[in-house]
Amino acid sequence: MAVSESQFESSREQADEDDVEARVGWRYTVARIKADTTARWGLYVVTVVLFVAIYAAIDSNLSLLTFGVLSDYTFARLIPIFDHPTHIPPPGEGTQHMPPYFPLAEQPWNPLPAGGTLEHPLGTDHTGRDYFTRIVYGTQVSVFVGIVSTFIGLTGGTVVGAVAGYYGGRVDDVLMRVVETVYAIPPLILIIVFTVFVGGANIWYAVLGVGIAFVPVFARIIRSRVLSVREMDYIEAARAAGVKDRNIIRRHVVPNSFAPVLVYATLQIGVTILIVAGLSFLGYGAQPPTPDWGQMLNIAHGYMHSNVWLSIWPGIAIMITIMGFNLFGDGLQDALDPRIDD
Amino acid sequence: MKLLKYTIYRLAQAVPVLIGISIITFLLANLGPGDPVSLMLQGQEHSEELVRAIERRYGLDRPLHERYVTYMVGLLQGDLGQSIYYERPVAGLILDRAGPTLLLVVSAYAFALATAIPLGVVAADRRNEPTDHVSRIAALVGVSTPSFWIGIVLILVFAVKLGWLPSSGLYYPWRPPSAYRGIDGHLELYYQSARHLLLPMIALGTLQMATIMRVERTQMIESLQGEYVKLARAYGVPERTVLRKHAFQVAQLPIITIVGLNLSTAIGGAVLVETVFNINGMGQLFVGAIQRNDYQLVMGVTMMLGVLFVVGVIITDISYAYVDPRVTYGERE
Repeated sequence: MAVSESQFESSREQADEDDVEARVGWRYTVARIKADTTARWGLYVVTVVLFVAIYAAIDSNLSLLTFGVLSDYTFARLIPIFDHPTHIPPPGEGTQHMPPYFPLAEQPWNPLPAGGTLEHPLGTDHTGRDYFTRIVYGTQVSVFVGIVSTFIGLTGGTVVGAVAGYYGGRVDDVLMRVVETVYAIPPLILIIVFTVFVGGANIWYAVLGVGIAFVPVFARIIRSRVLSVREMDYIEAARAAGVKDRNIIRRHVVPNSFAPVLVYATLQIGVTILIVAGLSFLGYGAQPPTPDWGQMLNIAHGYMHSNVWLSIWPGIAIMITIMGFNLFGDGLQDALDPRIDD
Repeated sequence: MKLLKYTIYRLAQAVPVLIGISIITFLLANLGPGDPVSLMLQGQEHSEELVRAIERRYGLDRPLHERYVTYMVGLLQGDLGQSIYYERPVAGLILDRAGPTLLLVVSAYAFALATAIPLGVVAADRRNEPTDHVSRIAALVGVSTPSFWIGIVLILVFAVKLGWLPSSGLYYPWRPPSAYRGIDGHLELYYQSARHLLLPMIALGTLQMATIMRVERTQMIESLQGEYVKLARAYGVPERTVLRKHAFQVAQLPIITIVGLNLSTAIGGAVLVETVFNINGMGQLFVGAIQRNDYQLVMGVTMMLGVLFVVGVIITDISYAYVDPRVTYGERE
C-alpha cells in the first residue's frame, strides 16, 4: 500500500517537474529575485538588520555574544583596534545606576521618556541605560536566535524527514507519528515546558527548544520531497553501484529535496523571532541584562503608565526585523515557484 | 454514513497522537531538574523523613514508568492529578479557567474571519490596484507583529491615552449578573463583557486575520481563473455574482484548513494576550504553574492545550470533508 501511495506521489511530482526543469538553477533564481520587488525589498531590510547586528557585535565595548559566554568587555579586549565611544554604556550597566524599584517619578534623570536628545535618541530605560543602544544590541540577539534555532529545526527536520521518506515503511510510520505528536503541542507551550523543566530559563535552552519545536514542520516538507526523489533513476543507480544508504541520503536525496525547505526556512526565521520574543516577554527566554526585545517589553510592561515609549520601540524593532525576513521569504517563494508568471 | 465513518476514522487516528502528547509532557515535566518536594517545603526546616513522606504521598518515590501508568489510568478516568500549589484537582482548575480562554480564542477567530474574508476578496478582485497593495502591506505587518505587542499598543492608545476601553480583566457573559458588583441586568453584563473583550480579541485576532487574508487573496485569484468562472462569465452571469458565488465558494475550502492548523499559534498567542490583559484563563494558569514548578498542573494544562489543538484540527478536517464533495474520506485504493 505504501508503495502505491508513493508511486502516485512521485508520478505526480514527476509531471510537475518535467515542464519546470528548464527554469531552475541558481542564475535563473538570482535573476528572478532581482526582478521581484518583494524579494528585493526584503533583501534590503534583511541586509540592514544583519548589518546592525554585526555592527553591534564589533563596534563597541561589548562582546560578540552577550549571553555570558564572553563577558561584556572580552571582545573589546580581544580586538583593541575597535575604539568605542564613551557615551554609550554597555547593556547591563547604566550611566547612572539606579535600583529598578526606584520610583520613576523621583528619578533625577527621568524626563527622557521620548528621548530626542543626541545622547539618548530614544531616551533611557528604567535603570538609566540608553534605550537606543539596547535596541541595537537587541538586533544581535534576535537575529542570532532566529537564525540558529531555525538552523537547528532545519537540520533536525532534514535528518528525520530524509530518513523517514527514504526508508519508508515501519521507520517512516514511527518517525512520522513522533513528528505529528510534537507538532500537536502548541510550540510556545512546548518550548516553555522544555526550557523551564529541562534546562532552566535561559536563552540557549530557548534556542534549542524552538529548534526542536520546529523540527516537525521541516521534517514534513523534506519527507514529501524525498518520497519523489527516492524514485529517481540516479538513486537507483547509486544503489546498484553499492553506495551505502547513509551516503545516498547525504549526497543525493537531501541535496535534491532541499530547495523548497530553504524558502520555508527564510519564512521560519520570522516565526522564530516572533516566538522567542513572546518567550522572553513571559520571562523564559533571554534573561536580564541581555538586551533582548521581548525581555525589554516585559520590563516596559511594568512602566506602561509612566513611560509609554519604553513599550513602543522594541515592538517596532521586532516588527521591522520579522517583516524583512517575511518579505524576503515571500519574494523567494515567488521567485522559485515556476508556476507563477509575472 | 460515509461521513460518520470518516469521523470515526479521524478520531481513531488521534488516539496515538494523544498518547504521544501524554508521554512527551510526562517526560518533560518529570525528567527536569525542578524538584516539586523542595518547592513544597519552600526553604522550611525539614527532616529527611518529611521529604520521604511527601514523596510517598505524591508517589514520587516510585519508578518513572510506574508513575506514568498510574497517571494514564487516572487520565482515562478524567483524573489529571492534584495540583501541588492549589491543592485541588487539576481537572477542576482547568475547567474553571477554560471559559475565558475559549471565549478569547473563538472571538479572535470570529474577528479574523469577519474582516479577513471580505478584505481578501476585495484584494483579489482589484489585483495589483492600490487597494490590493495597501491590504497586502497591512497583512504583511499583521503577520510580522507579535500579538502581545499589539495588545500593549492597544492598551496604551485606547485605555491609557484615550480612556475609552478597560485595560485588563474580562466579564464572563455566562455568569449571572449578580456575580459582579455594580452590574444589574444581563444587558449591561453583555455590554461590559464586549467592552472588555474588544482589545484582547483584536490583539489575538490580528495575526490570524493577516494569515487568513493572505490565503483568501491567493485562493480567490486562483479561483477567479478557474474553468467554472469562465463558464459562468460566458453564460453572462453578472460579475458580482461570479465573484460572490462561483469563485467565492471554492476559494473558502483552504481557509477551513488554515483555521484548524493556526489554532496552535492562537493558543500560544492566548497565553501571551492573557498575560498582557490580565485575563484569568488557561494561559495564566499555565504560566503560574510553570513559575511555581507545579508539575502536575503543567502536565494537565499542556495535555489539555494539545487536546484542544488536535480536536480543533479534527473538527476542521471533518467540516472540510462535509463541505467539499471531492474529499475521498481518506480511503485508499
